[in-house]
Amino acid sequence: MAGMTVIVRTIARLLFPFTFLFGAYIVLHGHLTPGGGFPGGVIIAASVVMLLLAYGIERAQKRMGLLQAEVLESIGGVAIVVLGLFGLLLGAFFLQNVFPLGDLGQLFSAGNLPLLYLGVGIKVTAGIILIFYAMLFAFREEKE
Amino acid sequence: MDLNYIFAMLLVALGIYCLLLKRNLIKIIIGLAVLTDGIHLFLISIGYRLGGTAPIVSGEMFSDLPGFAAHAVDPVPQALVLTSIVINICILALALSLAIYAYRHYGTLDPSKIRRLKE
Amino acid sequence: MIPHAPILAILLPLFAAFLMPVVGILARRRGIKRAREWFAIAAVLAELVIVASMLPAVVGGQVLVYQLGGWQPPWGINLAIDGLNLLVALIVVGISALVAIYSFVYMERDTGLDQYYTLFLLILAGMMGVTLTGDIFNLYVFFEIMCISSYALVAFRRNWQSIEASIKYMIVSSLGTSFILLSVALLFGQVGSLNIGDLMQKFGGVVPSTLIVPLGLFMTGFGIKIAMVPLHMWQPDAYQAAPSAVAALFSGATTTVGIYAMVRVVYMLFGILGVGMILAGLGLVSMVLGAFMALVQRDLKRLLAYSGICQLGYILLGIGLGTTLGIQGGLFHLFNNAIYKTMLFMIAGTIIYQVGTSNMDKLGGLWNNMPVTAMAFMIGALAISGVPPMNGFASKWTIYVAGIEEGQYVFTIIALVVSALTLAYFLKAFNSIFLGQRPKHLKNVKETPISMLIPILLLAALCLVFGVLPHLGIELVRPAQEAVMNSGGYISAVLGGV
Repeated sequence: MAGMTVIVRTIARLLFPFTFLFGAYIVLHGHLTPGGGFPGGVIIAASVVMLLLAYGIERAQKRMGLLQAEVLESIGGVAIVVLGLFGLLLGAFFLQNVFPLGDLGQLFSAGNLPLLYLGVGIKVTAGIILIFYAMLFAFREEKE
Repeated sequence: MDLNYIFAMLLVALGIYCLLLKRNLIKIIIGLAVLTDGIHLFLISIGYRLGGTAPIVSGEMFSDLPGFAAHAVDPVPQALVLTSIVINICILALALSLAIYAYRHYGTLDPSKIRRLKE
Repeated sequence: MIPHAPILAILLPLFAAFLMPVVGILARRRGIKRAREWFAIAAVLAELVIVASMLPAVVGGQVLVYQLGGWQPPWGINLAIDGLNLLVALIVVGISALVAIYSFVYMERDTGLDQYYTLFLLILAGMMGVTLTGDIFNLYVFFEIMCISSYALVAFRRNWQSIEASIKYMIVSSLGTSFILLSVALLFGQVGSLNIGDLMQKFGGVVPSTLIVPLGLFMTGFGIKIAMVPLHMWQPDAYQAAPSAVAALFSGATTTVGIYAMVRVVYMLFGILGVGMILAGLGLVSMVLGAFMALVQRDLKRLLAYSGICQLGYILLGIGLGTTLGIQGGLFHLFNNAIYKTMLFMIAGTIIYQVGTSNMDKLGGLWNNMPVTAMAFMIGALAISGVPPMNGFASKWTIYVAGIEEGQYVFTIIALVVSALTLAYFLKAFNSIFLGQRPKHLKNVKETPISMLIPILLLAALCLVFGVLPHLGIELVRPAQEAVMNSGGYISAVLGGV
């Protein structure tokens, strides 16, 4: 899949940091405002997919290959389970909130929730990109 | 308020109709999405209350928790819908990739032509 | 009991499934052979230990309730394990362990084993989740995990048969799971709770006629998963197209989980609506139709799929009768069915592995080539037809007696006739695979490899043990039967802290 025209590339390049930042904001503020790991992760993945479509798959793959996405997805999943196990080891139950709660409304508060959202965000980002790659490759194999 | 439920059930009916009677795999998958969206609308409507606020406690509401609880909408259906949306994305992704493979093997998306298994 | 055993039983396969891609990558980098297989087997065996460790407490009549995150039911999500849950969990983990061992050699010719074992562990996590949870929405979520993994497993080989079967399965089954979600939504709107114990308690105060729609939706949804007639269309195709190890897992474990969901939700939750007779009637229809369809099949795996539908009928009939003896028989048959069904699918798999086809017209005279496999097939065929001294006889006999005790002579007679039909089509299958003229090109077919034979022989031995000593099996299912009859104990255990 080749890239698109210069106009599309420029717009995509300009938009990419803002989209990415917006996704990161949604992920990090998951415990304070509506949103969280899943919507934020989808937005981040969308920003990456946008670049991918604009610049063509070959260049995008140098940034984030299939293997890295797979590993990232595993890391996200493992992080969630490990956080849950923390609750089990330090407290009494799985996923129990054992970290300091902090003040209501602050960014660094709510114990393990921001960390959980981070794990979910990583997993969703990697997962959506993987799905996109998988479908792309399914079409590519067909042409060859 | 009742309009929500009527629309939700209409969407469900439309989804089932597409799922069972359409002759194109992509349309069937769209039908599946419409069906689950109808159910999501239904779930959200159950938890909705007229003039309610978002069920998120912020600083000034903290002093008046009973008053907040009297105004906030039910957060449980929202959590359920979010979970269900995630599941739905997985199903749609899998369904679309299966449709891609089906197109490659059969050269068509018509499910009535994709039936060689029955002897 | 291992501390936190209920949650660990769900987490362990999930965790292992997340790690599997990493294990696959590492194994390829370092050149370690069969790392994925050993990892999967180790995970499933550890799972078996965890589940078995819950056995003493539950057999003692205790209901284990585990609160997630420390939230009390009915507000938080909880896991509740009584006799019924544990019986199903044991069946699921046992069958999964045997299938993992069987896959070791059976799947070695396939590529993409990373995905196979990831999906295998994911479906195990889904099944354990459905089995152990005490929350109806959670049950739906895990049910979906199970279903999505099974669509992918059916399509695993990505040839035209498996794609077609998977699409068919997916369309039908997604309709069913959507119905389950809609029904959960209706119940939440109607009763205002998602906890199964709490729902059971609050059902007393609800007008029964408003529960008919959710009941119908639940029955359709779970009925599609267990392939109850008239919702069975997907099953023969899916079982024929899936790899045999997957078909064995489906018929042994996934169907069992589906029946568990049917019993827990439809039978126990909606018990006040008198669903027992409906289930028994649907069981009879499944039985008769499954048997007649199986008679005309030419493909071994399709035949096994239809006979699975037929055996499902017996389980539903026994549980639907609702008496102590009926439920005992139904649950015992559930247990036995998982044993011999898995074994027969594994044998079909070995035939495909060695010969390359499961079309019975192209097979014949394999008795001399694979005598041990043939013996195992004979044991399985006799057990499934309910011939003494096999385990199938013990459970079917219990169901017949329960039918006569209830005064339902017609049910018993139909069940007996279907049993005879089962024997007929299995003898026909045995005849055309292992006896008769051997085609020339099958001369060099060898006996099944030993690591595939071990699970088969283990299951065959279980068939014999529970046939000769049926009271062992009845004792095994007694806690489950008591749990089904005693929903009050479940409610008070779950809501005890409130």
